[in-house]
Amino acid sequence: MEAIRQTNLQTEQPLFAKLFPNNEWVLLIVLSVEIILFGFTGNNFLTAGNGFEITRLAVEIGLLALVMTLIIITGGIDLSVGSMMGLSAVVMGALWRDAHLPMPLAILLTLLVGVLGGTLNALIITKLRFPPLIVTLGTFSLFRGMAEGLTRGIENYSGFSQEFLFLGQGYIFGLIPAQLLILIVAIFGIYWILQRTAYGRSLYAIGFSQEGARHAGIKVRRSLNIVYILSGLMSSLAAVIYVAHLGQAKSDAGTGYELMAITAVVLGGASIFGGRGTIPGTVLGLFAIVILQNGLRLSGQPAELAGILTGVLLVATILIDRISRQAAAKPKREFLEEEEVRNSQVGILSAVILLAAIIVAGSNWMLVRSIRESNSGSSSPSSSAQNQTANAPANGKKSVIAMMPKAKGDPYFISCKKGADEAAKEVGAELLWDGPTDLDPAKQNEVVEAWITRGVDTIAVSVENKEAISTVLKKAKDKGIKVVTWDADANKDARDLFINQATPQGIGETLMDEAARVLGNKGEFAIVTASLSAANQNEWIKYIKARLAEKYPDIKLVAIQPSDGDRDRAFSETQNILKVYPNVKLVMGIAAPAVPGVAEAVKQSGKTDVKVTGLSLPNMCKPYIKEGIIDHIVLWDTGNLGYLTVFVSNALANGTLKKGDKQIQAGKLKNIEIVEDEVRLGKPFVFNKENVDNFDF
Amino acid sequence: MNFDRYKREISAAIAYLVLLLIVGIAAPSFFDAGNLGDLFINNAPVLLLAIGMTLVILIGEIDISVGSQFAVASVAAGMLAKTGMPIPVLFFLMMLIGTVMGAVNGVLIGWLKLPSIIVTLALLVAWRDGLRWTTEGAWVQDLPPNFQWFGIGQTFGQILIVGIPLVIFAVFVWSLRNLNLGRAIYAVGSDAEAARLAGIKPQKVVFGVFVVMGALVGLAALLNAARFNSIPSNTGIGLELKAVAAVVVGGTAITGGRGKLIGTLIGVALLGTIGTALTFLGINAFWEKAIQGLIILAALVGDVVLARLERKKK
Repeated sequence: MEAIRQTNLQTEQPLFAKLFPNNEWVLLIVLSVEIILFGFTGNNFLTAGNGFEITRLAVEIGLLALVMTLIIITGGIDLSVGSMMGLSAVVMGALWRDAHLPMPLAILLTLLVGVLGGTLNALIITKLRFPPLIVTLGTFSLFRGMAEGLTRGIENYSGFSQEFLFLGQGYIFGLIPAQLLILIVAIFGIYWILQRTAYGRSLYAIGFSQEGARHAGIKVRRSLNIVYILSGLMSSLAAVIYVAHLGQAKSDAGTGYELMAITAVVLGGASIFGGRGTIPGTVLGLFAIVILQNGLRLSGQPAELAGILTGVLLVATILIDRISRQAAAKPKREFLEEEEVRNSQVGILSAVILLAAIIVAGSNWMLVRSIRESNSGSSSPSSSAQNQTANAPANGKKSVIAMMPKAKGDPYFISCKKGADEAAKEVGAELLWDGPTDLDPAKQNEVVEAWITRGVDTIAVSVENKEAISTVLKKAKDKGIKVVTWDADANKDARDLFINQATPQGIGETLMDEAARVLGNKGEFAIVTASLSAANQNEWIKYIKARLAEKYPDIKLVAIQPSDGDRDRAFSETQNILKVYPNVKLVMGIAAPAVPGVAEAVKQSGKTDVKVTGLSLPNMCKPYIKEGIIDHIVLWDTGNLGYLTVFVSNALANGTLKKGDKQIQAGKLKNIEIVEDEVRLGKPFVFNKENVDNFDF
Repeated sequence: MNFDRYKREISAAIAYLVLLLIVGIAAPSFFDAGNLGDLFINNAPVLLLAIGMTLVILIGEIDISVGSQFAVASVAAGMLAKTGMPIPVLFFLMMLIGTVMGAVNGVLIGWLKLPSIIVTLALLVAWRDGLRWTTEGAWVQDLPPNFQWFGIGQTFGQILIVGIPLVIFAVFVWSLRNLNLGRAIYAVGSDAEAARLAGIKPQKVVFGVFVVMGALVGLAALLNAARFNSIPSNTGIGLELKAVAAVVVGGTAITGGRGKLIGTLIGVALLGTIGTALTFLGINAFWEKAIQGLIILAALVGDVVLARLERKKK
């Protein structure tokens, strides 16, 4: 064992090289650049509060990344950690709420689930000797699938006790996030295991050569078993913190976290081939990513830049690592020259790649812009609206309105943004539009936290999940920021006003009544929803079912299939529905991208007696509505929703709208009624063949 | 025929037959011509990706950026089609766009020798977020009428969408076996150093394979897009996992050097059938992911069991 310690520690080196044997200093530079840059561009970036807030966001991924470092050092990988978080979260929720176990016991059993899952991975990897990549790809599906199956995707455990929530939301000494302590303990614990125990050193040996390690007397299988079980355990721990952080446990917890963790580890200088990697490196890698995301947000830059820059950073760090290694290795291997790539070549190649990437991205950007402009066609909001900026009320400073959709890329929300932009120009407010790229309650919290730090006048959120976001919205209110919810509400005490376009009950009942009218009050129908765990859709389905039971005894709902918000998936699911349930006379799509997929499937099947209805955007469905395949779609004017939200937000910010006001003069919408704490946009609208041409969104 | 050489493929085929048998007994309507046709069409683009992925995995690399590349290519297809260019030119340009994206991978992995999982992880994020940034989620709509089904009608269009991948499949099966290039792929995957000493230039092979992968992605995106009259910009999420899983279930070793395209075909068929089969069996969609995971694991375990049985016989 001593021999291994000798070779790896290289004890003669100075402290710096010992801490960062793999050029991790590059990350220190990256981090400094980020901090200096965002210090200038970001609002309130360089504050103690923000510093700690950043660490709060890093805890769950950090825990995963720490153990992932060990796994990658052994030359393995674990793709199942994010899915394990999902499974652990719902198990904990079920044990606590449904089995009525006390919280500590529920947490303990949850950690046991992690150990079991890790054991499953370990057994297949070490006993059956399959590559970890494939095994954990299998359990990646399996664990997430079990989480969805156990909860039918719908279950959302919430209402946890304050003591438990303290773990994820509380502050120690009023400043340090509680879960940060756990991360710090884990960092030092794993660092100690890796650097100071024979077991830790054996992981490096295994990573260099399993066969060699075996000959050196290391129990390779046992070592590997431990590391995968540890990974399962850590995933469960991360899940517990995640649940405490968001105040809810759902089957989608931790989606995509495996990639974030791996990115942090590799950025931190670990070699994916094993044998190389350090804990300080991983920690630096983790913060390089997290600070990048946070800083971009505080500087008001698009969040998508974070992904692009992370990608560039990843490739750049391994490239630098490679070049410096080659430079170091060169004198020794001169005779191997023919295979060597010269540094100058590397430089030229990278320059060419970068150039190509810029050209592709640039041309792409131009093309899309031009097409989007021509799409929006007739209306020319940009020029006319800009002129109106001059008419903005000159009452001192511009108010800053931060507005968040559930998902930035969703066409529904894009159509809302059009109206929001228009209103912002009219009232002369600065509009920040940011949010998760995919449905993700954790990201929504993160964005609100960033806005609180940045300092805005009004925060307007379309809430993906009530429980998850209400605490952080309350925090915003406490700091004197006006809070508005739009499209979907949070808890009442977490916001000032709710811009209500339609209640879930109203939507569900309108959808059902309209469908019943098309069906002639009898027959079978099916629903194609978004993802099985989508909160809104599940709420609508609840009211659809209730209406069905109450009013339409002769109509039968035969299937609810998921589309994951993917048009192509909605298409093939509908094909299946039409074949398996030949008596279905109507398919209802209740997610905007699903409806065109459903309609195309019905069209291609040639079944002219099957009608499509649902909730979607007019532009997307126009061709099908005109062909008579889609009978109608239900929606409100999304542009007006965005418009009204910005108007109300601005009025709250500059004090022209106060509590108890019964109405608001909202620009082009004229008089809008306020009932208690809800601003009512109006009733859901039914778009059909006759009126669809009057709308463009 | 030498069964020994195909034993991994055979175990995948057995799993597939068992699935078909169960569905056949419980829901015979599954075997309607219409349903089988739909299955073929829906999975044809996936087959193209899986062919490319087989080559990538055969040389001991991996490409997890294909889903994002697919999305970029799909949107590009729509925008190019809107300029009104003739369909054959569109085919050519799509392969070209795919080739360029594949070449980015190829340069970084083949020539600069960076680990493929990291490079493609970086590009998975970069392409996807780049696309989100530029399109802001907007769909490509109002495509010209000759875009859907390439303007040759639903029936012929469908034949083309299934036919092209099958022809390409046959070409690749033949070339992997009979061309120097095909053998070079196996050689590089088994031992790059040995291949180099045998006169093969491994970096060229690696570069070439990623370029081919890219071209196939471009083609797959076009064939997939042509089934509809609009193109969503969030398409292709998770496609990389689908392709990798299909290749591995089909018996190709993730460590490279071993595997056959026929296995990949079975893998694509197996994973492509599960979802539909579950609906036909009336099993709730909630369990679909779990069952998919189980099948991947079962394919692995079954493989070991077969190998053990064989050893006992000897």
